[in-house]
Amino acid sequence: MNAHAAISSDRKRGLILPREQGAGSLDLVIGVMAFLAALALGGVLIANRSAVTWQAGLAGHLTVQILPEGDAPPQNEVDAAVGVLRATPGVVYAAPLSDAANLALVEPWLGRDAVIASLPFPRLIDVQLAPGATPDVAALDKRLKAAAPHAVLDDHGRWIERLKRTANSVVLSALAILLLIAIGTAATVAFATRAGLATHREIVQLLHLMGARDRFIASAFERHYFLAALIAGTCGAALAAIVFLAAGGLDEFGLSSVSFLPPLGLSVRELLWLGLIPLAAAVIAWGTARSSVMAALRELY
Amino acid sequence: MVRFENVGMRYGAGPEVLRDVTFALDPGSFTFLTGASGAGKSTLLKLVFLAEKPSRGLISLFGRDLAKLDRADLPSIRRRVGVVFQEFRLLDHLSAFDNVALPLRLAGVRPGEYIRDVEELLSWVGLGTKLHAKPPTLSGGEQQRVAIARAVVAKPDLLLADEPTGNVDPDMGERLIRLFVELNRFGTTVMIATHDRALIESTKAREMRLIDGRLIEMRSVHA
Repeated sequence: MNAHAAISSDRKRGLILPREQGAGSLDLVIGVMAFLAALALGGVLIANRSAVTWQAGLAGHLTVQILPEGDAPPQNEVDAAVGVLRATPGVVYAAPLSDAANLALVEPWLGRDAVIASLPFPRLIDVQLAPGATPDVAALDKRLKAAAPHAVLDDHGRWIERLKRTANSVVLSALAILLLIAIGTAATVAFATRAGLATHREIVQLLHLMGARDRFIASAFERHYFLAALIAGTCGAALAAIVFLAAGGLDEFGLSSVSFLPPLGLSVRELLWLGLIPLAAAVIAWGTARSSVMAALRELY
Repeated sequence: MVRFENVGMRYGAGPEVLRDVTFALDPGSFTFLTGASGAGKSTLLKLVFLAEKPSRGLISLFGRDLAKLDRADLPSIRRRVGVVFQEFRLLDHLSAFDNVALPLRLAGVRPGEYIRDVEELLSWVGLGTKLHAKPPTLSGGEQQRVAIARAVVAKPDLLLADEPTGNVDPDMGERLIRLFVELNRFGTTVMIATHDRALIESTKAREMRLIDGRLIEMRSVHA
């Protein structure tokens, strides 16, 4: 190896600061933070996707119940209600559910039993609206009541509202977790930077005395912590991506243990969002290292 | 170039290390600073290379009153001063070459413009075969020569050296003093703190002596 080759390779590395001993623990902490942040971000994506899916499933639909009078709902009221609904502008489909479909709805809770069929169930009328149609629900309810006194109109508004609230609170909780993780990461990097400054105090003072500007010295620390956070953040986010892929695999094979929960896997497109985690970790580490070092340098003459 | 007026210096609540120190270094001058250990030589040098602020008095460097300077102006002033520290203060993780090149790198000089100069300088101080040796593998004398090369490589306007020949044999000491004299001939103002009488007597330079923190003119040189 000739002198020039050795010198230029040293320079390419630009290592004004030596590699830190014991920096692995900082990398581990940032990796764990990134893993948790990626899980929280995945939670946001799943909550959002579920809310959209649920709302899309319910929007554009109305349900009318004809409550039973005695053993069964009166058939004439069912027919009258269907007639009112079909005459309503914006309604493209209105038909009562068959007895078999009615029983299929309660089967998960009550089971399949001959006795069940004899219970006084309400008759359900499924109503589909034209895309974008917004019928006057109160007026329709009034007309239905006039034609069929046992009719109850449900536009799923309360259910949709609850879903929205639940999804919003999941998203807000996850964002709060992300914020806490960001603060934790910044505090960890600030602590590590101060420790790094103490370790390299002699080098920092020498560079300062030789006329290095604060920005030059700070850039050496910034680069170090930016790269460390980028690598550790990538590892943490990749681990979280593996967890979501595994959860997606369980969904695929129908192995999810809790059937009422939405699918816990992420699509490839959603997984790409996790790529923001290492970038955010690197930017937080860079900014924290810069402000910590600049503050410490300002104390020097 | 350098002007001290009634400068006093104490560390914390301790006794005054320097008392009413007044002197001036003219541009292109060569001065020895002598005195017993603990007389305040290193402290005086620290005040000149802006490692410490005086407790009282006025210091001006390159015609500028340091008390009136903004902190952001100090790096460019520091880059005009080359310093040979008594304890060398080399960066152990960098090679001899990269240690010497450091002032040029800080000044924003591109590597292609200084590789040859740095190699020549290291060869001149007898370290041409140890360009990429790390300081811990060098002897005390070799480290001292790297420190000297680093101090002079950027051709500073002012060169300060604290016991620069303390760890080298007489021949190398003579060679190094020739380097300082040569630099001085090209316009660099030189101030050397030393105990080495042979070194002082080898030139007819001015000598200032510190005794108990007070500065006494021992030998003046008038052009």
